[in-house]
Amino acid sequence: MGERGIGCVLVPTVLSWRPSEINTTDRVPTAGSWLPGFGTGDANGMIQPATERRLDDEVVATGEEFPVLKMEHVSKQFGATLALDDVSLALRRGEIHALLGENGAGKSTLIKIMTGIQTQDSGEIRIDGKPVRVTSSQDAQRLGVAAIYQEPMIFPDLSVAENIFIGHRNRGKLVDRRGMEREAAEVLARLDVTLDVGEPARGLTLAEQQTVEIAKAISLDVRVLIMDEPTASLSAHEVQQLFRIVHTLRQQGVAILFISHRMEEVFEIADRVTILRDGRWISTTPRAELTPGSAIRQMVGREVQELFRRSRREPGAVLLAVRGLCREGVFQDVSFDLRAGEVLGFAGLVGAGRTDMALALFGISPADAGEIELEGSRVTITNPRDAMALGIAYSTEDRRQLGLVMPLSIAANISLPSLPRFLSPSGMVRRAEERDAAEAFRERLSIRAPSVETPTSSLSGGNQQKVVISKWLETNPKVLILDEPTRGIDVGAKVEVHQLIDDLAARGMAIILISSDLPEVLAMSDRVLVMREGRQMAIFDHHEATQERVLSAAMGQFGDILPEGDGIDRIAAAEAITAIDRLVAGGRLVDGERQ
Amino acid sequence: MSDAILRRVRPEQFREFILLFVTVGLLLFFASQIPNYFDPRSVNRLTTGLAITLVVAVGQVLVVLTRNIDLSVSSMVGLTAYVVGTILTRVEGMHPLVAAALAMAIGLALGAINGLIVAYGKVPAIIATLGTLALYRVVLVEFSGAKTVTTADLPDWLNDVPSATLASAGGYDLRLMVGIALLVAILGQLTLRYLPFGRRLYAIGSNPEAARTAGLPVQRDVFTAFALSGTLSGLAGFMFLVRFGNITVTAAQGLELQVVAAVVVGGVNIFGGSGSMVGALLGVLMIETLQQSLLRWAGISEFVKDAILGLLILVAVTADTIILGRLREMWVRVRRRDHARAQVAIADEGGVAHGA
Repeated sequence: MGERGIGCVLVPTVLSWRPSEINTTDRVPTAGSWLPGFGTGDANGMIQPATERRLDDEVVATGEEFPVLKMEHVSKQFGATLALDDVSLALRRGEIHALLGENGAGKSTLIKIMTGIQTQDSGEIRIDGKPVRVTSSQDAQRLGVAAIYQEPMIFPDLSVAENIFIGHRNRGKLVDRRGMEREAAEVLARLDVTLDVGEPARGLTLAEQQTVEIAKAISLDVRVLIMDEPTASLSAHEVQQLFRIVHTLRQQGVAILFISHRMEEVFEIADRVTILRDGRWISTTPRAELTPGSAIRQMVGREVQELFRRSRREPGAVLLAVRGLCREGVFQDVSFDLRAGEVLGFAGLVGAGRTDMALALFGISPADAGEIELEGSRVTITNPRDAMALGIAYSTEDRRQLGLVMPLSIAANISLPSLPRFLSPSGMVRRAEERDAAEAFRERLSIRAPSVETPTSSLSGGNQQKVVISKWLETNPKVLILDEPTRGIDVGAKVEVHQLIDDLAARGMAIILISSDLPEVLAMSDRVLVMREGRQMAIFDHHEATQERVLSAAMGQFGDILPEGDGIDRIAAAEAITAIDRLVAGGRLVDGERQ
Repeated sequence: MSDAILRRVRPEQFREFILLFVTVGLLLFFASQIPNYFDPRSVNRLTTGLAITLVVAVGQVLVVLTRNIDLSVSSMVGLTAYVVGTILTRVEGMHPLVAAALAMAIGLALGAINGLIVAYGKVPAIIATLGTLALYRVVLVEFSGAKTVTTADLPDWLNDVPSATLASAGGYDLRLMVGIALLVAILGQLTLRYLPFGRRLYAIGSNPEAARTAGLPVQRDVFTAFALSGTLSGLAGFMFLVRFGNITVTAAQGLELQVVAAVVVGGVNIFGGSGSMVGALLGVLMIETLQQSLLRWAGISEFVKDAILGLLILVAVTADTIILGRLREMWVRVRRRDHARAQVAIADEGGVAHGA
């Protein structure tokens, strides 16, 4: 849906949020401490009526006193760990309710209970005030509760229309293909989205697949829509498209539970924010009364001194020089220098060719034209072996599928790319050395695990990410490519990864940082290379790289359409985006024809 | 390939054309090698043999679509053929339809056992049905005491069924058994296309986890697919009995590989989620043609025949992955470009209107 020119007019208020705000100290909301036991008093709006702000006039008088869905005193235990401890939460009609918490705070368990994948040990779920039992997906569906996930749950072999209507009961005995496609188009039209409903879903982009899932939910008359990190894999532009859809749903009275690790998104879209920590309810606060700083403090339960750390350093000699690198139909004419001790950020929309560029440097899908020079001599990289021999390492964006062998231990994962070094003369793996090496990384990167023999599948996302990075550090790379190293990991782990990047650069490693988290890539990088549709748009120095410049370069060459500065003229920005949108659709056309 | 073709033909349909084309090519090749290749007697024999494989293949498609596999089909065919044959030798005057229904009921029971183990016992289908493949065969050996059902013991009507003909033209017959098989295939195709159950089979195979979260009755549907595969194997067992009359304990052994080969060659994705009965029909046609023609082709040993079949499966699966992947990409690209063009056209109109 991203580049289809549907006329997105939402202004990315993300632009006006600055990372520095996080450091400002605000009052810590006290609701949690003075309400007895739990937060329902706050949640149903009875206790703090004066502070309740009507965020949307259209949802006035939609029964705020009677939440659509209410969880009361819900607890859930897995073995020895209490995943949810007496948590209460109320979702109102037509509200966007954000759920914040570090990984392991209990968000996933909460969602699973709401959608019937798991059942609570104690506590109650009420829908429209009536207690209900949700013990299966069918129950949840019948009650109008649906969830969409970061990785869309689509059926790749079925068409868009079939995907939307697959869960439907009582649609007659026979499948009416034409009628179904027509209705599918109508449902999509309600979201102001056009898709080819006959197309198999395998051809859709991630964002489009999500749209299909939302369409599926609303076609089932969903009343509560849970969105579990829906934006994690989307580009900034696609996120705005998604938000537009979310707003449409909210106006139609759907209660939305929105989960994201991106603070700026939560502050852009949420009406109220609930924070969980260690399985416990901490607070529920109207967005206006919360600041990113205080939210983070409540999530981590400690002061986060700096979200981004970048020490001053002088980059050394040019280590990697790339000239006119191309891969037919994927990216073209990329040129840059990378110095020792430098962090070069790669910004751009998802699908802009940043990962493809990295894959070419690492030899997974080699470039077909252009030059790569490493330490002054021309090199050819046609497979990852070449790249590793030259001292290039690539940490993938998809750690679950590509980064780790999940059932294997931390130690076995770390030694995997450098296994020849751990072999005895007889060709056996020297397990003690392997363990020692892993142990060193466990300490250095503070990987939280019972031992290095723990299977990586049982680690949290942040710790898994640290194992992936460790495994590449073990190869002693000169150039380290980090693709979305902080995606889907909690705030605490994020800070640690940032610190690690900074340390590595300070020790002279050259780092390419690909990230869709704009504040992150801007803060961490010495220079930022922006790509759009496979083309290199610009390289900004750290001090020139503002969110506006980078974003406008990523979305088109219209750097000067978007006014500079923090206070963005909303109408101008909206018009610019609409214009870019259409050009992007046009650009796609040209690309398609060339192939 | 030109865009115009891609606009009209889905990649899967294109593959079916190729398969048909290759099969026709094979027929012509063998016709040039084997004398009297197209004489009515041989053709009739080929179609009758095809009928049994086709009925089993239809059941197999249902199972494979759900990302499972039923390897026990040959033992189910053999066991029902033997049991029904034995009953017919002992019980006088049983109506043919009752005998057929009995065969299907036995098949249903055997298939239901598979379904229970896979869908509710959560045992991987390949293991579960490998187990029942051996198990059902052993039951057959024990039940029969290694004796053989012979044609002479069977009622007379049974011996007339194989040559029962629905229509005939110039010596080429449409035999009753072929008619039944085609009817089964058509019903199967209609199920896949028009019944919600059929649609769910695709969904389950395409993404099992998503199917569960979408609230689909995954276990029940997988169970039903296995039960139907068993039922159709039962029907095929009855057809087997009718056709051969003499049933030994090794009846239909090896049929499972032939059926799986036919289904895969016919373009049913072994990992579930895509395929059709039309494809399976073409796959059966091709495998059976090859099998029976190679038998008649002088100078080909049994081993070479098997090797050629094996090679065919490899080629089919490899070509499938490569060619179909390409075709799909091209298809999506053309559709998207057309769609984008339409969008831009709409946007342009809107823009003009806005400007004015």
